[in-house]
Amino acid sequence: MMVDSELLKTDAVGCRVMRWYMGTGLSLVGFMMLVGLLLRASQAHWMPLSADTFYALLTLHGAMVIVALNMCGMGGLWFLMRQQISLRPSVAVVAYVLTVMGAAGVVIATLIGQFAALYTFLAPLPFHGNWPHWSTGVFLISMALITMGWIGWCMQMLGGVLRAYGGLRPAMGWDFVWHRQSFDAAGGRVPPPQAFPALMVGFDGLLAGTSGMLLGIALLVHWVDPRVLISPLWAKNLTYFFAHTYANLIIYMLAALIYVGLPYATGRKYHTSAVLAIGWWCSMALTLTNYFHHLYMDFVQPGAFQYLGELSSYLSALPVTAVTIFSALMLVWRSGMKWTLGAVFMYAGLMGWVVGGIGAEIDASVPFNVHLHNTLWVPAHFHTYLVGGCLLFVVGWLFLYVEARSDRRTGAAMRWLVGLLTFGGMSVFLAGFYWAGAYGVPRRYAVEPPPGPHLAKIASIGAVVMLLGFFVALFEWLRLRFGYTARYRATMIPEVGAHD
Amino acid sequence: MSVAVKLLILFLILAAVAIGIFLVVAVSTRRPPQDQHEVARRGYTIRGWWFTSLLAFFVAMFATSIPFFPYLAGATALQPALKVPVIAMQYAFIMPTHFPVNKAIIFEVTSRDVNHGFGIYNPQGHLVAQVQAMPDYTNYLRVIFHQPGIYTARCLEYCGPGHALMEKTFVVGAK
Repeated sequence: MMVDSELLKTDAVGCRVMRWYMGTGLSLVGFMMLVGLLLRASQAHWMPLSADTFYALLTLHGAMVIVALNMCGMGGLWFLMRQQISLRPSVAVVAYVLTVMGAAGVVIATLIGQFAALYTFLAPLPFHGNWPHWSTGVFLISMALITMGWIGWCMQMLGGVLRAYGGLRPAMGWDFVWHRQSFDAAGGRVPPPQAFPALMVGFDGLLAGTSGMLLGIALLVHWVDPRVLISPLWAKNLTYFFAHTYANLIIYMLAALIYVGLPYATGRKYHTSAVLAIGWWCSMALTLTNYFHHLYMDFVQPGAFQYLGELSSYLSALPVTAVTIFSALMLVWRSGMKWTLGAVFMYAGLMGWVVGGIGAEIDASVPFNVHLHNTLWVPAHFHTYLVGGCLLFVVGWLFLYVEARSDRRTGAAMRWLVGLLTFGGMSVFLAGFYWAGAYGVPRRYAVEPPPGPHLAKIASIGAVVMLLGFFVALFEWLRLRFGYTARYRATMIPEVGAHD
Repeated sequence: MSVAVKLLILFLILAAVAIGIFLVVAVSTRRPPQDQHEVARRGYTIRGWWFTSLLAFFVAMFATSIPFFPYLAGATALQPALKVPVIAMQYAFIMPTHFPVNKAIIFEVTSRDVNHGFGIYNPQGHLVAQVQAMPDYTNYLRVIFHQPGIYTARCLEYCGPGHALMEKTFVVGAK
């Protein structure tokens, strides 16, 4: 079967950028999963940590997982858009260096400085802890570096898309949707599907990054001169606008990998449609107002924001399920797709996105939020989304990438082994969170009330099995990677159509 | 059975349905391949129904949920109630330890230092009400305790390394 796919293109610069971003991001994710396992084992009373160490590690774990997965999304989307539009590697390199410097700073602030105000660092907590004053400064400066890298990346992506397609209106596909006849008659060029996440993430990411910088500067000013006061409600709004949007955009960046990866795996085509364009416009707007659901239990928040938060959180499920997920299911339906590990991981990631989304929607209902807010239900749904969704998309993409270039194939026994260990372990690991959340166990407790410790034991066992599955998958990926076709190795030009 | 456990059951049912749909689609790849245009033609019809149904469901959910929002309306605030100040601080709650049964209580919750949460667990350990405790602001939480017994207030917003220790028990009913 002849397939022409961006996945098969060999743009040396694009590949290198993707390799650095995804390599660093996945390495960090791997280490942070081990840190997460340590935290759950501590809650299970198997490896008790002191409260200071527990919360310093929790700060490190939370901040680094989000940043690391974001790096994977940045690298993947940059690689794909580089096939479509002009993107200079220098900006991507600067953004990468800033992000890595920031990540190193977070490691220093938490592991050496024992900074433990968590990755949300809700003001004024960073200035009321028992950690040294310098570690607060190092953490805030590090987060500012990460945000600067993110802003730079978003500006390049947004600018590149707007330049390439001739402005916001054509980049959004406005005339393609509303004036189709004149658009076709004029020979208009509609952006490919992956350009929509690029536009959306560039735009929303820039707004979120700017608010993050504003908050960071305010906190740094307070760090230098404590007489400068910050409103806790203002700070909380900016914190969640930045942090929620930054985390939420990860999966929207990775949606671009689905738009390219699944058509390749199924041998089918995926084109821009009016529904796809409108779906992304909705996501672009709704993602900016979803964050209000983090402040449902702040009754002093203006009431209109609470209503908007619930409505917006509900509606954001529409474009995701009716466009991206539904289109993905239509691609797979009776396609004869071969279930390579790349296809399995990517498809399972879609399931994780939906299941995590169900958990999130339940929690986003104000009356239910009263019973679930800041219980372990919250990490339950975002671990489903991050590990069962985002991480699987990245792993799936990397498998598809090497499967397309390798002489070797993964046997059925290996696929079953990886699948059972990874998804079986993941299900048990996540069940521990959901169950505990339903029993009201608070999140972020170094020592949990019952039944927390028992469920932490079950979750820890699940996490070990899941990590074993990822470990086996890593070896299989390396085996495929070292089996690149002779032609590919000799010419560095991939075999278009080698996949059947 | 607590509300949260019912929500867990709801979640499991919905997740099982979603996973079931994914599995059905996955198994379909074993059948003879179908032309993509044919799949699209039928798929777009189903998608239209799916979109309309989901939109209607969410709009109905939103409308249904509004009366259950916990925010204190002006009229409710004027009704007779026992006003109880709650001051949160690292790592304790300053508040009374006895409350009456079946009487409206409005907790006036604030914080002396950082953000805290004020979560109320009933004698069975179910989380029945909560609100944030924020410095410089006061949140008003209206609660009626229908069941006598020993309740526990726990901090539900991370407030520093002593967070997990921040709790206070109080008695509802006769002294």
